[in-house]
Amino acid sequence: MSTVDRTRAPEPAALRDFSFPEVQRRDLPGGLDLRVARMSRLPVVSAVLFLRAGEATLDETRAGLACLTGDALEGGTRNRSGSDLSEALERVGARMGVATGWEGTSVSLSCLAERFEEALALLAEAVREPAFPEAEVERARSQTLAGIRQRAMDPASLASDVAARMIFAPGVPYARPVAGTVASVEQFGRDHLRGYAGASFLPGDGGFVVVGDVDAGEVADLAGRHFAGWSGSPPGGGDFVVEPSSRERAIHVVDRPGSVQSEIRVGHVGVARSDPDVFSLTVLNTLLGGAFTSRLNLNLRERNGFTYGVRSRFALRSRPGAFEVRTAVGTEATAPAVREIVAELEGLVGGGPTGTEVEAARDYIAGTFPLRQETAGQVAGRISELVVYHLEDDYHDTYRDRIRAVQVEEAHAAARRHVRPAEAQVVIVGDATAVVPALEGLELGPVKVVTPL
Amino acid sequence: MGILDVPFTRHRLDNGLRVVLSHDPTAPVVAVNLWYGVGSRNEAPGRTGFAHLFEHMMFQGSLHVPKNRHFELVERAGGSLNATTWYDRTNYFETLPSNQLELALWLESDRMGWMVPAMDQEKLDNQREVVKNEKRQRYDNQPYGDWDERLHRMVYPERHPYRHTVIGSMEDLDAATLDDVASFFATYYVPSNAVLTVAGDFDPDRTLRLVEAWFGEIPGGDPIPPLPGEPSLPPLIGDTVRDEVVGDVPLPRVIVGTRIPPYSVDGFAVAEVARSVLGTGRASRLYRRLVRERRVAKDVTTYAFPLLTGAGMLLTWATGYPGSKPEELEAALAGEMEGLADATSDEVERAVAVTETDLVRSLERVGERADLLSMFELYFNDPGRLNTEIDRLRAVTPEQVRGFAAERLGADNRAVLTYIPGDDR
Repeated sequence: MSTVDRTRAPEPAALRDFSFPEVQRRDLPGGLDLRVARMSRLPVVSAVLFLRAGEATLDETRAGLACLTGDALEGGTRNRSGSDLSEALERVGARMGVATGWEGTSVSLSCLAERFEEALALLAEAVREPAFPEAEVERARSQTLAGIRQRAMDPASLASDVAARMIFAPGVPYARPVAGTVASVEQFGRDHLRGYAGASFLPGDGGFVVVGDVDAGEVADLAGRHFAGWSGSPPGGGDFVVEPSSRERAIHVVDRPGSVQSEIRVGHVGVARSDPDVFSLTVLNTLLGGAFTSRLNLNLRERNGFTYGVRSRFALRSRPGAFEVRTAVGTEATAPAVREIVAELEGLVGGGPTGTEVEAARDYIAGTFPLRQETAGQVAGRISELVVYHLEDDYHDTYRDRIRAVQVEEAHAAARRHVRPAEAQVVIVGDATAVVPALEGLELGPVKVVTPL
Repeated sequence: MGILDVPFTRHRLDNGLRVVLSHDPTAPVVAVNLWYGVGSRNEAPGRTGFAHLFEHMMFQGSLHVPKNRHFELVERAGGSLNATTWYDRTNYFETLPSNQLELALWLESDRMGWMVPAMDQEKLDNQREVVKNEKRQRYDNQPYGDWDERLHRMVYPERHPYRHTVIGSMEDLDAATLDDVASFFATYYVPSNAVLTVAGDFDPDRTLRLVEAWFGEIPGGDPIPPLPGEPSLPPLIGDTVRDEVVGDVPLPRVIVGTRIPPYSVDGFAVAEVARSVLGTGRASRLYRRLVRERRVAKDVTTYAFPLLTGAGMLLTWATGYPGSKPEELEAALAGEMEGLADATSDEVERAVAVTETDLVRSLERVGERADLLSMFELYFNDPGRLNTEIDRLRAVTPEQVRGFAAERLGADNRAVLTYIPGDDR
């Protein structure tokens, strides 16, 4: 006695609204921008200390120094060895991590709310009084160098690193791997790290974001106490112009004999985080390659079975990052997959997206927004983006409305402005002997076999 | 009351479908999560990888839902979705804005009841290629990509259901037919072999009625056939067994597999705490001694496979530096494993403290809560274990950890897999 109609999708019930958690803001002495949001369902806290100590401010000779300094931060303080610091954190059930990128260094902390004060004291000590003992610096450097070796033999990482070099002009920081090169990293010693931390691990233009089962006033008191007397600003820099390596499409093949798959990257210089077209591009990218039902995935995976998956994205940084399509396909499918990717990009620029696609993409992005703010760590990450990119305070409150406002004409105009298949650099990491003839047969541009790095 | 107090109610439909509802309206989102009691351990000889291929086929449409429509509808509704296959089970899940709950119930019930009529050869051939590319991307084209397969062959004897991995072999994937899809569905994808959990923001009474309406008319199915092969095995491997690969890897790596108690017995909690003392966090023994103090390892990893049949597996690995001697890495790993026989209460307390934070944080996501409730219901008929799991870990004593080390972490229970860069030999 079924009472349901299986022949059509059930109607949704009334939508219950979602609000991004309210953020309390204070400026701490020393220039640190404190932002606190309460999420009290579980007794946990996630915090992020963002410092404007990023790789984009470093020239090529110092590439990787911010990353290495961040990695060595767990090496201990004036009063504690590295192992003592780790033990102290784990004793209060806290996890601390350091992530360094182009924009800065983020020190993150997560723990139960009742242990937050103890954990925060340890984080402050680690950042403000790092000792960088010789053995710890050597360890971090050896790990980084071994990691570079691993990236060179991992086809996906290798493809991404070569694509960056082919997309950006020489000298643009984004052209190099964020963690630096063997040549730059080998030269760093204890003094470089101490010097860098002394000059750049400073609160100016940075932020401290705390989210979880906390009270904003109490957090302000605690942060005021543990960051008291801390002042100064990192030196800045990073005023570079992002130029492409080339405006002519070319196919670059890194030979990896015996590969059973080809890693493929197709990309060119994209846009900066501050570009007015960012919302249109977010919608556009979703329907191109940002969701399962995107054009690229339905074509390469669900129609042709070339791949396990394909994605596209615009890397939104302070300066224009890359627009890039990435996938891995069976060796024999390499040329057909490149042909389909380029054709999809051309189709997007030429015919543009359909009204249904734009609607579906808007609904997807706006609808999944609450799912991306479920945890204190996710919300802390969102809020720290405001600090990193100097976005307006109400950015997350208005985000879904701005996405929903994107019209099909705007998405098409954004495609014409920012997707340029004729300028794309195609990078293949695969078996050159097996893939080059068919790639040449595509007549999409010169096919060059290149050395890795 | 413990720190965890995830609410839940349990129900059972006439067709045997077990239902867990966990109401928490904090955020306007809802998770729908299904666990089927079938995984790679159920695969017949010559059909390795089939449970996972079948999982892919479950997204290819059902009688009332055309191909791609499932993804289109969930994404359009603002939802996320996926599925995973594991040795002992397969799970399917979506998280949606709470007003779209019924959409997920429709989609999940349609494929639980009416999947087979929508299957055809083209869909099977397409997903076979997708899965083969998944295998290439995640295993065959990766340095060290075959470690899992090699380790399982050493830790589990011939004919044991865990002897082969979830991804299976290319040959067996090629052999799969539409008849296999239909009979696998009829055997394993029945309500009596499944758990449905709904967690998050919903009206419990209305939801129970909806679940009954959408799932209640699906026929229950026969009891699940016994596992193929020979599921029982001795607690120890009995020796140190070895495998060595010289090839396309950037750095030497030594991977040790150890038989441990299955997930279903209390001994697993002891193994989990011992593993944590060994490898969770930067004050753990392996990181502290091998990475930090002796600097013989670039990184260390540990994982306890929570498996139900006969024995679980403790995985311990260390990656060396260029030119490291694998024998030294192995000796260092073995030394730390055996050295756990002097584990201290301070170490055990720290391990439990970090595990507790991790567990509480994992419950922040409604999808994760639903997933754990489904697991505990399917495995142990007790979703409440989610709230008491931390007590099981807290109850582990240093003496038990030391006893575990003495019994299980010796040379008579060790599978050692070594990778050596080709240019080092």
